[in-house]
Amino acid sequence: MTDVRSTNRAAVAFENVTVSLGGNTILENISASVPEGSCTAIVGPNGAGKTTLLLALLGEVSSSGRIRISHTDQGQDLRIGYIPQRLHFDRGMPLTVLEFMVMGWQRRPLWFGIRRKHRKRALDLLASVKMDGLKKRRLGALSGGELQRVLLALALGQEPNLLVLDEPASGVDFQGGQIFCELLEKLRHEQGFTQLMVSHDLPTVTHHATHVICLNRQVVAEGTPREVLTSETLCKIFGLHMGLVDSGALHIGTKNCSSTCCTKGDTDA
Amino acid sequence: MPELDVLYNLIPKMLPFESMEMKFMQQALVGLLLLAPMVALMGVQVVNFRMAFFADAISHSAFTGVALGLILSVSPHWTMPAFGVIVGLTIVASQRRSALSTDTVIGVFFSGVVAFGLAVVSRDKGAARNIQQFLYGDILTIGNNDIWAMIALLSVLVFFQVYGYNRLLYIGLNPVVAKVHGVRVAAYQYIYAGLLSLVVIFSVRAVGVLLVTAMLIVPAAAARNFARSSGGMVWWALLVSTTSAIIGLLISAQDWARTATGATVILVAFAWFLVSSGVNFIRGEERA
Repeated sequence: MTDVRSTNRAAVAFENVTVSLGGNTILENISASVPEGSCTAIVGPNGAGKTTLLLALLGEVSSSGRIRISHTDQGQDLRIGYIPQRLHFDRGMPLTVLEFMVMGWQRRPLWFGIRRKHRKRALDLLASVKMDGLKKRRLGALSGGELQRVLLALALGQEPNLLVLDEPASGVDFQGGQIFCELLEKLRHEQGFTQLMVSHDLPTVTHHATHVICLNRQVVAEGTPREVLTSETLCKIFGLHMGLVDSGALHIGTKNCSSTCCTKGDTDA
Repeated sequence: MPELDVLYNLIPKMLPFESMEMKFMQQALVGLLLLAPMVALMGVQVVNFRMAFFADAISHSAFTGVALGLILSVSPHWTMPAFGVIVGLTIVASQRRSALSTDTVIGVFFSGVVAFGLAVVSRDKGAARNIQQFLYGDILTIGNNDIWAMIALLSVLVFFQVYGYNRLLYIGLNPVVAKVHGVRVAAYQYIYAGLLSLVVIFSVRAVGVLLVTAMLIVPAAAARNFARSSGGMVWWALLVSTTSAIIGLLISAQDWARTATGATVILVAFAWFLVSSGVNFIRGEERA
């Protein structure tokens, strides 16, 4: 068994991070790390402060303590790509998928048209998430899963070293979630970014994560899924019913969840 | 200062109507033609990102701007835009810091600003005449200084929209994603609010506080029905607002009409909106 933390340096290190909002302590003394190149999952029940921890990392909520984000080998700041839990927008608004993509990096306003090189880049990115067929579709007409993939393509356009996802599977149907998790796995291996995601979907975590941070206002446990997702820890953070996950059946790097994408993963392992 | 008369003299040649021979009509047309692209460009974002209430609050701050001018003995030409911008920037600053919902923050400012204006005006009976103009607007009394100010504002605004349109779209869709992906969200939000406040204040002079939101929203709403893309929506908004301005002014000056110019402009834009809804309905039927 290899310990990811010992072989990798941390892409992100939380050191004694505390977040209080309106007099309530949401997060208390969080110290945890996100190993470089890992797929790290933050798990915990509703109200555990998972999203708040992400927002603190992104500088959207103020926190005490330190959050250290490492640098690239060239000494530059890590480029971060972010995929929110939901995109709240006016679904009737005329905005095509292609325009949505190009908006991220073309300076020339969309009403003067899209430059050929930007169009090509957008189409390449959309193809990488299997969405190139829907480039002319209105953004508001996409299903939850399709929108999630377009958001992934937009984030990939940042050429991220660190990809941050907030509940990637929420609001997406089973099949959509499956396509999305397969894609992420493939892209992470191809592009080598560090992935940090918030999830309360334990099958997804057991299947994909290489590192898990269990959170319930404080860090309850941290380590590989096998170390962390024990019935003892799960009972502690989720309550009684989580004896369903049998941690003894988990092996590092192998896939062990009921979804079909996992069955496919078994053959790679 | 270069002469605007060259511009005015062109108008009767391009629009050979009897009413267009008069200088105040020529000034009014130039004023409206400067205002139309501004409301079209800003209106697209107001409609897509549901900022109508914001525009409404700013327009009512014009009321307090007039009142402040009375107290300080300064021309309302200065106090209205200055106060409008202050209110606009304050609302954005509060939104960014407050846990209250956006419409509550705006509503609070809205009521404070209107109450202050009413309090001042109720003390001074002579202010009532100013208030009439403020309620209904009067594009026909627009002067050369106003025109110059609008030319300056239009130049800044077009530059800002060309430079920042895509970024504003990004911020409107999700400010956190935009910020993480390198957009300077705060700067864009403040500049947009400042410019929108100025556009609203100039629109108050043209169509009055009752119709200022319509000026921003109706062309953009029609454009939204016509357009199939975000880029297309801008061009449709420009077309609808410019044609509404010209046709509205011409109709209002006809003997058979003799209606208030601002209201007539909005009515033409509303007719555009009805057509656009029809087009949208037919398209929906085709798709179904």
